Amino acid sequence: MKHELENLKKDFEKILHDVKDRVALEEIKNEFLGRKGKLKALLKDVATLADEERKAIGKLANEVKNALEVAYGKKESELEWSHPGSHLADEWIDVTEPGKFPPEGHLHPVTQAIAEITDIFSRVGFTSVRAPEIDWDYYVFESLNMPKDHPARDDWETFFVDLPEEKKGKIVLTPHTSNSQVRVMETTKPPIRIININRCYRRQIDVTHLPMFHQFEGLMIDKKISVVHLKGMLDYFAKTFFGPNRHTRLRPHHFRFTEPSFEVDITCEVCGGNENGNCRLCKGGWHELGGAGMVHPNVIKAGGLDPEVYSGFAFGWGVERTLMMREGNKIDDIRVLYKNDLRFVRQF
Amino acid sequence: MNILASYNWIKEYLDTNFSPEEFARKTTAIGNSIERIDKLSERFEKIVVGFVKEVKPHPNADKLKIAMTDIGKETVEIVCGGVNLSQGQRVVVGLPGAKVKWHGEGDLVELVKTKIRGVESHGMICAVEEIGFEKLPHGEHEIWDISELTDAKPGTSIVKALELDDVVFDIEVTSNRVDCMSIIGQAREGAAVTGEGLKGPKGPRGPRGRDKKFTIDVKEPELCPKYSVILIENVKVAPSPWWLQKRLLLAGHRPINNVVDITNYVLHEYGQPLHAFDADKLDGEKIIVRKAKKGEKMKALDGKDYEFSHDMLVIADAKKPVAIAGVMGGEETATTENTTRVLIESATFDPVSVRRTARALNLYSDSQLLFEKGLSTESTEPALARAIELIVELTGGNVASSMMTEQAKPYEPRVFPFDPQKAQTLMGIKMEEKKMVEILERLGFVVEPNHSIAVPYWRDHDIEASVDFIEEIARVYGYENFPSVFPAGEIQLIQEDQAIKFQRRTKEILKGAGFTEVYSYSFISEKQHTAYGLKKDDAVVLRNPLSSEFEFMRPSLVPSMLTAIEQNQHHFPEADLFEIAPVYLPKKGDLPDEPLNLIMACYGKDGRELFLRAKGALERLMRELGINDWSVERSRDPSDYIAHYHDGRLASIYIGKSCVGEIGQVSDRFVKIFGLDVTCVLIDIREPEFFLKCTSIKSFKPISQFPEVKRDLAFVLDERTEYETIIEKLEKTSTLLERIELFDVYRGKSVDEGKKSLAIHLSFRSNERTLESKEVDQEVEKIRYVLKEEFHAILRS
Repeated sequence: MKHELENLKKDFEKILHDVKDRVALEEIKNEFLGRKGKLKALLKDVATLADEERKAIGKLANEVKNALEVAYGKKESELEWSHPGSHLADEWIDVTEPGKFPPEGHLHPVTQAIAEITDIFSRVGFTSVRAPEIDWDYYVFESLNMPKDHPARDDWETFFVDLPEEKKGKIVLTPHTSNSQVRVMETTKPPIRIININRCYRRQIDVTHLPMFHQFEGLMIDKKISVVHLKGMLDYFAKTFFGPNRHTRLRPHHFRFTEPSFEVDITCEVCGGNENGNCRLCKGGWHELGGAGMVHPNVIKAGGLDPEVYSGFAFGWGVERTLMMREGNKIDDIRVLYKNDLRFVRQF
Repeated sequence: MNILASYNWIKEYLDTNFSPEEFARKTTAIGNSIERIDKLSERFEKIVVGFVKEVKPHPNADKLKIAMTDIGKETVEIVCGGVNLSQGQRVVVGLPGAKVKWHGEGDLVELVKTKIRGVESHGMICAVEEIGFEKLPHGEHEIWDISELTDAKPGTSIVKALELDDVVFDIEVTSNRVDCMSIIGQAREGAAVTGEGLKGPKGPRGPRGRDKKFTIDVKEPELCPKYSVILIENVKVAPSPWWLQKRLLLAGHRPINNVVDITNYVLHEYGQPLHAFDADKLDGEKIIVRKAKKGEKMKALDGKDYEFSHDMLVIADAKKPVAIAGVMGGEETATTENTTRVLIESATFDPVSVRRTARALNLYSDSQLLFEKGLSTESTEPALARAIELIVELTGGNVASSMMTEQAKPYEPRVFPFDPQKAQTLMGIKMEEKKMVEILERLGFVVEPNHSIAVPYWRDHDIEASVDFIEEIARVYGYENFPSVFPAGEIQLIQEDQAIKFQRRTKEILKGAGFTEVYSYSFISEKQHTAYGLKKDDAVVLRNPLSSEFEFMRPSLVPSMLTAIEQNQHHFPEADLFEIAPVYLPKKGDLPDEPLNLIMACYGKDGRELFLRAKGALERLMRELGINDWSVERSRDPSDYIAHYHDGRLASIYIGKSCVGEIGQVSDRFVKIFGLDVTCVLIDIREPEFFLKCTSIKSFKPISQFPEVKRDLAFVLDERTEYETIIEKLEKTSTLLERIELFDVYRGKSVDEGKKSLAIHLSFRSNERTLESKEVDQEVEKIRYVLKEEFHAILRS
């Protein structure tokens, strides 16, 4: 009996080893462990054995049964990994059917650009501040070193509100975000790192100009801030926003509220900044990004700070322009941005 | 502003061997951005001198002829429609491969050999406009006859034959550097950046003639700080020689006659405008610089009549205005081919006065552009001397007077102190003082021993303070030589504005809820404004709008949102939109308020469904923004809004006790006024209460260890019994009731008219023990009782 049990175990293991699929596995399970299986048949006569022997055989039979079941279980899980069950026949679905969309919303590309720009500067300690869009002449022009007779203060270039002059002058629609400069200096002690992103207004409308657009203004005021720091900050922004392969250059320019002043250019994404090429998109390998410069001592003074102690830089760029300059953006007419055509906005 | 500058011309004043590209790169780097380099040898490639040997009729076209044209190697047939074509002419021939402007219009086109009305044409005999010289005087449908300009052999390139081997730079000049709007100015900058030698210009020579006199009377020395004239007699007015015409053409000027051309030539070369009067047409041998009399009129050189106001400065003779000071001369006193006595004016005018006069008259000119940027009184004489030199040489005239000048006060150069240490600090680089001084001197500054610096006269409107010297040093040194250093230093904690922080969060939540963001102009038209039932006093109004479309600063986001829906409703019959933007509310004697408002719009067909969709989105928004104590209540006095909203579908939105906005269906009236074909529910929320209540802090309530017990109830009651009142009552009825959730609202079959059937889930829970079924049954019974007694509900289950 003992011998037969051991043989049974060996046989089972031998056959099990060659089993390749679940059907065969079920078959040998039935053959050995089933109600009419070999093990049951073998143990049929145990009851007739003497006590001593019955106990011994019974113990052995249990061990064999357990061993067979363990071996079976092991094979079963092996087969599950190598031959998983198929529901191809009964639970097939068309995986190419369009998915069920959760309701889809869209943020305007200008919002997305503003969020990115805010994040890039917030990482290096620039806080977003709010400044009025409709402001006193004083903050918009006078305190920014723009003389009374400056052309920007004429009716032709800037929008004026139909209200009488007050202590701080006429009320104007800000043509730039630089009105935040003196306002921030009046309320915040250096070191100052702020950005102001806001709507601006100028009296112009054509393919590249809108009467309303957005600018972002950065201002940093501290002791011993110099041109090399402005260069460092602009490089940081340009490489983060446009990608590490784009380069910037500072081109001397003229703004009343900075000295020195710059136009910041970035290499063209199409020609890679080839100065002698005939790129259809750029001027000699470069695109103008926007203005920047070292804050004019008169502006620092207007902000209530001592220009002998503090210096700083500022930059003010068009959000729309910056967005359009980005590789792969493909918006070629600025006017599409504020037409509120959902066929446009829903692409973003 | 831009200037077209010929490199050959620049080289008359600058000793340089730099290639055009290298020169362009260097001057761009110091601030004169060269935007385009036009190499004439490339532009005129395959354009050659042709000699017309014979003109034959075209067999198939009356207006066309066949010109047998010698182009050097051979004689070819060219079909030509020029009305002045004739045998023996030297002409400009564009060979196949040449690029020309077809009939002077559009982009450049590359010529190919082609058949014209059945006859093969081996090129094109060009008109002036076809090779970009449209400003040269010419007749209609005439080809350019160059017989008098050259006797070059046929086949010679026109670059050689007409001495066009030049390069023209298109240079952007910043508004403060009017001195760079000239050839000499460009040469000066070139000298500073290349380190090479500047040639000339020669100083004023003060030519003397016989003692003829004009009286000059400057009545407004503030507006005309300097006025000089000189008289030339025996002038023969004629077309200018080709070299002069060519220079003007490349500079973008129109050649007219030798006298006028010389004034334009000197304008371009020296950057100082001049004007030539026909001295015989001036009354009283007199020049008066005065303000115009109100209503005074004059026909200007552009052929139009202008009427002046009394604040405009004019040049007048004894009787009448003869020029608008700094803007344009008068037609009546201009030089013509009969002129023999010329009075040349060289003056300085107040920039602001020139600008305002030009804007007011809507009259612009090359001279005015320079004057309004501010010119130095010192530049009048050198330019006048140069003009006289050319006039004497080219017109046969002789100087008949000395230079007569009226000057308000003697010129003194501007002087500012200079601190090399400060310059280093602001630049952030180390540089020896010697190097700084060398750069300044190269730019024409005069360094005085006590660290003071005198500004050259051509920069006297631009250099205003010591700090300006630093820019001069830095730009010539070259910004590409500055390192890029990321600023270190302390970062100050500045509290972020609530609205900035939470408007972004709000936008993201609404996007997640399926809303699409729109951006409208801050402006609206008076029509939109009044259509929305607003009064003029409710808005900030512009004094100088671009057009009537953009006259009002919107005090509400509603009109632009309704306009946006109207524009999209046909492509998208159903959508959810939002905008966050400031509105502008006038405040007496102060800046307007600019609260940041939020508008949400759900539009489509069914108003009831849209209302719930909008309200659902609002609930989601409030929850995400951490606002718990908000509520929506039927407006107590809907008549306030009745024009805007449907009075049965309107509610106020409260946070705590303050009303922050409205939710409501747009009234039929507005649907019609704004042209909507859809039904629309708006949520209009105002700052500051809204953003102030937003928080990113969310609090946690302990999770009960005991199970909840659920029961459902369905009941029919009066349509106008508001759900919120039922809930408030039920919550007070049972202390074990944890949550009530509406899961079905039914109206229609088997429910009487004017009634609705509601089905709710009730959840009961205790935080202390597991509830027993019996206990819950008792609670439900209380609730059923309340529903029956207080709300007259009929319970269906």
